[in-house]
Order: sequence, then C-alpha cells, then structure tokens
Amino acid sequence: MAIIVGMGLGLDRDLPVAVQNAVRQAKANVHQSYRIHLAIVFSTIEFASPQVLKTLYALLGQVHIVGASSLGIITNQGIFRHGLAIMLLSFPKNIFCSTSFVQKISAKSSTNAGEELGEKLLFSFKNTQRDLGLVFSDGLIRDTSGFLYGLKERLGWSFPLAGACASDNYEFKKTFVYFNEQASSDAACGIIWGGKMNFGLGIKHGWKALGQPRTVTKATGNTIYEIDGQNAVSVYKDYFDFDIYRLKSELKRLSIMYPIGVYLEGEEECLLRNVVSLENDKALVCQGYVPEGSGIRLMIGTKESCLAATQEALNEAKTNLLGRQADFVFVFDSIARYMLLGRQAGKELDIIKQGLGKDVPIMGIYSFGEQAPLKAVNFQGKVYFHNQTISILGIGG
Amino acid sequence: MAFTEFLINTLVFCGIILSIVLAILLLYKTEKIKLLEQSIAKLKISLNEMDEQAKLIVRTDMELNKAQEELDKKIVGLYALQRLSRSISTTLEENLIFKMIDFSVIEELGFEKACCFLFDEGLNQFVLQLNIGYSRGEIEGIMKMVASDINRYLELIKEESTTSSISLTTDPEFREKMGKVFRVASFIASPLLPKEGSKGFFLAGTMSRETLISEGDEELITILANQLGQALENARLFEKTWRAHQELEKKVEERTRELSKALEEVKMISRRKTDFVSSVAHELRTPLTSIKGYAAIVLSEKLGTLPPPLKERLEKINRHSDELAQLVNDLLDISRIESGRVSMEQQPQDLKSIVEEVVDLLSIIIKEKQIEFSYSVPQEAQSVYVDRGQIKRVLINLINNAIKFTPSNGKITVSCSSGDHEVRVDVQDSGYGIPESSIDKIFEEFYRVDNPINQEAKGTGLGLPLVKNIIEAHKGKIWVKSKLGNGSTFSFTLPKPIQ
Repeated sequence: MAIIVGMGLGLDRDLPVAVQNAVRQAKANVHQSYRIHLAIVFSTIEFASPQVLKTLYALLGQVHIVGASSLGIITNQGIFRHGLAIMLLSFPKNIFCSTSFVQKISAKSSTNAGEELGEKLLFSFKNTQRDLGLVFSDGLIRDTSGFLYGLKERLGWSFPLAGACASDNYEFKKTFVYFNEQASSDAACGIIWGGKMNFGLGIKHGWKALGQPRTVTKATGNTIYEIDGQNAVSVYKDYFDFDIYRLKSELKRLSIMYPIGVYLEGEEECLLRNVVSLENDKALVCQGYVPEGSGIRLMIGTKESCLAATQEALNEAKTNLLGRQADFVFVFDSIARYMLLGRQAGKELDIIKQGLGKDVPIMGIYSFGEQAPLKAVNFQGKVYFHNQTISILGIGG
Repeated sequence: MAFTEFLINTLVFCGIILSIVLAILLLYKTEKIKLLEQSIAKLKISLNEMDEQAKLIVRTDMELNKAQEELDKKIVGLYALQRLSRSISTTLEENLIFKMIDFSVIEELGFEKACCFLFDEGLNQFVLQLNIGYSRGEIEGIMKMVASDINRYLELIKEESTTSSISLTTDPEFREKMGKVFRVASFIASPLLPKEGSKGFFLAGTMSRETLISEGDEELITILANQLGQALENARLFEKTWRAHQELEKKVEERTRELSKALEEVKMISRRKTDFVSSVAHELRTPLTSIKGYAAIVLSEKLGTLPPPLKERLEKINRHSDELAQLVNDLLDISRIESGRVSMEQQPQDLKSIVEEVVDLLSIIIKEKQIEFSYSVPQEAQSVYVDRGQIKRVLINLINNAIKFTPSNGKITVSCSSGDHEVRVDVQDSGYGIPESSIDKIFEEFYRVDNPINQEAKGTGLGLPLVKNIIEAHKGKIWVKSKLGNGSTFSFTLPKPIQ
C-alpha cells in the first residue's frame, strides 16, 4: 500500500502567512480520512524560530515534526532561498516509524550524543524489524563523525542510514534542527522506519582527484596535523599560493570548492572532507574524521562532473528501488554544489524530476554535510559522514 | 687425514665459488636498486611536476570560478534590474516607485538589506523611503544616526558618485562608520539625483563577511540608483504637468460656470424680451384692428363721400396699418416659436408641391420683374418631414427676398438635393449680394442690410429671423453665402421622414 503524501510550500515574506499557506496546501493534499503520522519540515534560516515551530505544531494538530534549516529548500516547484516546505506523511498499517531528539551535543561528547539518539530511536522499535533511518544534525557540530559513530554503535554498523547536516545562509553562524515544537542548535533529530517499505538511496559527489597522492602522517579525529611529514596547513595553502591570512579569510569558500579526498580501505569511492578551520595555523580541522595513515588528494569539481554525479546518484537510487515507484523523495544536497553550480543549480532538480517523474513529491535541503553509506567492495555499505555530495533517497510503501 | 684435507679444499673451493656467485648477485642487485632508485627519482619528479600542474590548475580554476561567479551575479542582477526597471518606468506616482522594490530584487542583486532616504529641505531632514531587511527598531536607530550626521550624508549626495566598502575614498573613517550605522559588513551607497525636487541616496548591504562586493556590484547599484532618480524625476514632472492640467481644468470649469451663468442671464433677458414683445404685440393688435376697421368703414364711403385728399390720407392709414399688422404678426410668431408656445406640426410632406405652390403664388411678381426663375426638386429630395404651412412661409420669405434684391432680367434658382437624413434647399439669386460685414448679422431681429434697395423698400427686419426660427424648430440649419455684386445663396436643411 502506498504512503499518502501531502506537500505544502510557504513563500510569503510574512512568516506566519507563509506557515499557514504551507500547512493549508499540505493538508489539502491529504484526505481528511487519513491520519497524519509524521511531518517533515525544511525551511530557510528565517523560519528557524520556536514561534514558527510552535505555530506549526499547533496547526498540524501535534503531529510529530522532524526537520532542519537550510540555505535553500528544494521542492518540485523549484529551489527557494526564502521559504518553508512541509511534507505530511500518512503510513499504511504495515509501516512503523519512531522519532527522537537529542540536545546539548557539545556538552555530552558527540559519540555519547549519537548513542543517546540511537537508543531513544530504538526504544519504541524493540520488537519490530527496522529498515531505514534518517537523521538531521546541527551543521556546525565539530565532531559529526563521532556523532555518527555513536549512532551506528546503537543502530548497527550496516544499518541503512541517511541524513543531512542543517545549514544557514552561508554564514556558518547557527543552524537548527526541528523536533515537534522546538527549533534547536547543538542538537540532532532522527526517524527510523520499519515494516513493509521500499527505499533506494544514491549518493555521489563528482569531485575529481588532482595533484600527487599524499599520506596523512599525523592526525587525531577531525584534525590533520601532518601530511607527508610536513605541516598540513603549509601543504594545503601551497596549492592556492595564499599567505596564512588570506587562507583564513577565504577558507570556507576554498574548502568547499577544493576539499580533501580521503581514500578508505575497502571502499570504491573516496570521502570528501571540508576544512572548517585552522588549528594554530598549522593543522587542518576537517568536518569529519580523517584516519592517520590514510591516503589523501586535493579534489576539484566542475559543473559538468557535478551534474554527471547527480545523474549517477539518481540512477543508483532507482537501481536500489528495484524498479518500484517511490512515493516521495528526499534530496540532501551539499551547499558546495549550490555554490559551484551557481545559476545552474536548478539543473540538478531537473535531472531528478526527469528521472523520477514530475509528480513524485520531492523535498530537500542544502546541507553542511551528508550521512549515507558508501558502496563497499565487500559488504552492503557502511555509513559515513560526507561533504560535497548529493544524496537522493526515494521511499515507497 | 687426506680425506680431511680434501674436504677442506673442497669447502674452500665451494666457498670461493659461492663468494663469486654472491658477488655477481650483489652486483646484479645493486644495479637493479640503482635502476629502481632512478625510477623512483623520476616518479618523484613526475609527481612533483603533477603537483605543480595541479597548483596551476587550482589557481586558474579559482580565477575562472571567481569570474564565473561575478558573471552569474551580474546576469542575475541585470535580470532583476531589467524587471524592476520595467515596473518603475511605468510608475508615475512617487510613493509607488519604492514599493516596486521588494526583497527578491535586493536578494537577486546579492544583498539582504537595503534602504533609501530622500532629503526634505522643508523639514531639513532625511526621510526614509524604503526599508528592506531591517527590523523596526534597527531602522529607527539608523534614522537617528543619519539625522545626527546630516551634513556628511548631504556631502555624499553632492559628490554625485557611488561609494562602497571597497571603493577608494578620501574618508575611510566615514566608510567604516557607514558600515556600523547600517549594520552591514559590506555596502554600496549611490546618490539619487533627480533634476526636480529632493535628492537622496540608496544603500544596499550585506551582513555576510563571505559575500565579496565587486566593482560589478557597484555598477549595478549605480544603475539602480540612476533608474530610481530618473523615475522620481519622471514622476515629479508628471505630477507637475498633472497639477497644471488640473489647474487648467479648474479654470475651464470656472469659466464654463461663468459662461453658463451669463448664458442663463442672456436666456432670461431674451425670454423677458420675447414676453415683452409678445405682450406689446398683443396690446398693439387690438387698437390696430380698431384703427384698421374704422379706416376701412370710412374708406368704404358708407358714412359719406370723402374728399380726395382725405381719401388719399385714409388709404395711407389703411396701408400702414396693414404693414403694422404684418409687423406685429411676425413679432408674435417669432416670440411664440422662441418661447416654444408654437410647436411645429411635422408630417411627411411633398417638398415639390410646396415649392410649386409658392412659385405659383409669386409668379406674377416674377413675371413683372422679368426674372428668369427655375426650380428643381429631384425625386429623392421630395419627401420631407415638416410643418407644411411654416415651410411654405420660409420659402415665400426667401424667394420674396430674392425677387426684391434681384434686378430685372436677373435669375433665381431654387434647387433641392438629398443627404443621408436631410434634404437641402438652396435659394440662389443674381441680386446685389450682401456685404461681408452683414452676413453674420443678417438673421438678427430688426437688422436690415444697408443697401439702396432696403433704403427704398420697406421691411421689418423680422423676415429672416422668423425663417431661422422656423428652420431651427425643425432641427434644421440655415446659412447664407454671398458676395457683394454676385448674388446670394440661402441654404437650409429639412428633415426626411423616419423610415
């Protein structure tokens, strides 16, 4: 049986009006006789306030809300830099879901926070087989890989998990995740589904390796101290011919255009890592783990390779759906891709719409990082934290 | 012993052989290591070269990306400007111009905040015209700070050039201050310089330290400010023209009111005159009838034979009484028609028969003066919708006049022609004609053209006004064309029966 989906979009500058419009549209697409089980909410940063969430929660009749803030929202109607999108989901009796939330991650250690969220999500799923997890986390958590590690510890290392890190309007100041009537930073929320459902996930980045292969000779967690025995910052900045001051001022921009590619043992694809800051002007602090001893390369992306990767991710998602129709689709697209594609950003959406059919509800965000399994050589897939990717997740009943 | 010696010798030999083999192997391996080292060195060089190339590629790519971003931004900005330009160029109300600028335009230009101030000389302060992206509290704070530094902002306008957080300026302190005042990390401010009325400035800014403002952005904001200035100028010119137009309309209205009032007064006077003429004529007719009656009785000599001089005088009294009666009757007719007391009894009539009746009536005089008279009423002009008696009167009057002012052996023609809804009748003579100065007055009551005929012949000056009144009562028109010495043509129109 199909999952009933109702989508609504609010674009008005007056936030309460936009929220009301979105709720009205979404509800209009779900017949009154269906019970709404879950609401996914994505919005641009202006909507990320407790007032908006409280209004939403009340208007939706206290349906569970899960969502995140973003630089822009992706919907069938287009990409919007101001707006709020709601997806109301009504599941058939043979599909179950559980939602939960964890706050104050930095006070707990990321791994502990991940474990806590995993435990909470599993709590109501004790005797039911779980099939898929979706997680949204604050995009500015320092140790997202650690958080993911904790989550995998509880949900299982090969449990299919997808998700995205919330983003803001490219200021890297504050990002939010939404859970019921709360809009919180330094937090994460998630959903796990179980029962008779199908899903297909495709993830690709399209960035290409450049320059000589190098080795991380000294690293801890997210921080690379030495590359080929040299100061990591000096190796990185040499590529751009910048002094340390210019590197610092343009770091965020540079690192999304030219991330570091990390080769992982047993994986077909390399992981991309954005450099988020410099430590003592010597070490590179990345958004995810970089194991000591791993081979790394500087990566470069082009519009063409980026769009080709979107097509590949879509094909992969469709292949994994095993020919079944998706009832709705989530798109988690890195803001790096939005920056790189510029005016052609809409082409990614065109590719997805063309591949899935224009009537399939699509909703997505631009993220500061994505969580998804990589296609492994020896087993089904281990979930990693990624940068610069587009992940397309189609779900059907 | 010998065996032992043999064994030692054999071992020594083998050792020597092994040493030689090992030496050979060592030599071979050393050579291989050398070759490998050479390959590694080559590979290292290649990798280093590859890395150097990579650096070049990255740097070129950065430049290309920057150029592409700049281009994208410019294209998006130009689209936004074009859209805005289309809407503001068609706006002729100053208040509406700034309402055309919404958040999406500012966002497409690459900014999140924008505001615009115009300097009001009367109030001696900057007045806020546009606020995008600022809260009420923020904008009130900005207004206060702008008000406290009016002269510096006026200078900014006087400089007539765009200033920004990246442009070179003689006053970097003020530039920094502007960033703080308008709560932005980067900004572009451009003056609004309409030729008419108050001037001001437009400011667009971004709080993001990541957004880099370029010269291209400065150009776009300058274009936008120029367009706003132009739109303000157009709106003000339009308002000025509109006001002038309104004043003119007001004056025309006032004048029309005055004229209407005057016309009403004229009409009232005319009505009074008509009433006066009517009552005087009535009052005159009764004694006139008595005079005429008594004169007729005396002239009939029933009361006794009259001596010839007395008879001659009485005949004169009788004739003058007739003329006076005619004059009174004409006056009464005119006043009746003018006051609407007499309505035209219009019916479908045959114009040809009316003309023929009139010609028959006047044929004796025509013959007496040996005038060549002709008339033509074509088939299509025969049917008219008129009061037969009144139109006969018109024709008698006009043909009589023509006879009167046409010398012997002259020519008179009556011709009729048909129009869409009316029939036109022309009475043309080869008489003395009318001086140009008299043409406009000829239909006025009691006006008589100053010519030898009129000096000799008697007339009341009421014939043509009566004719005019009758024609106009039929909703027709009457006019005359004449040249002194070349005769006159009196034309009038009559309605056709409704089909």
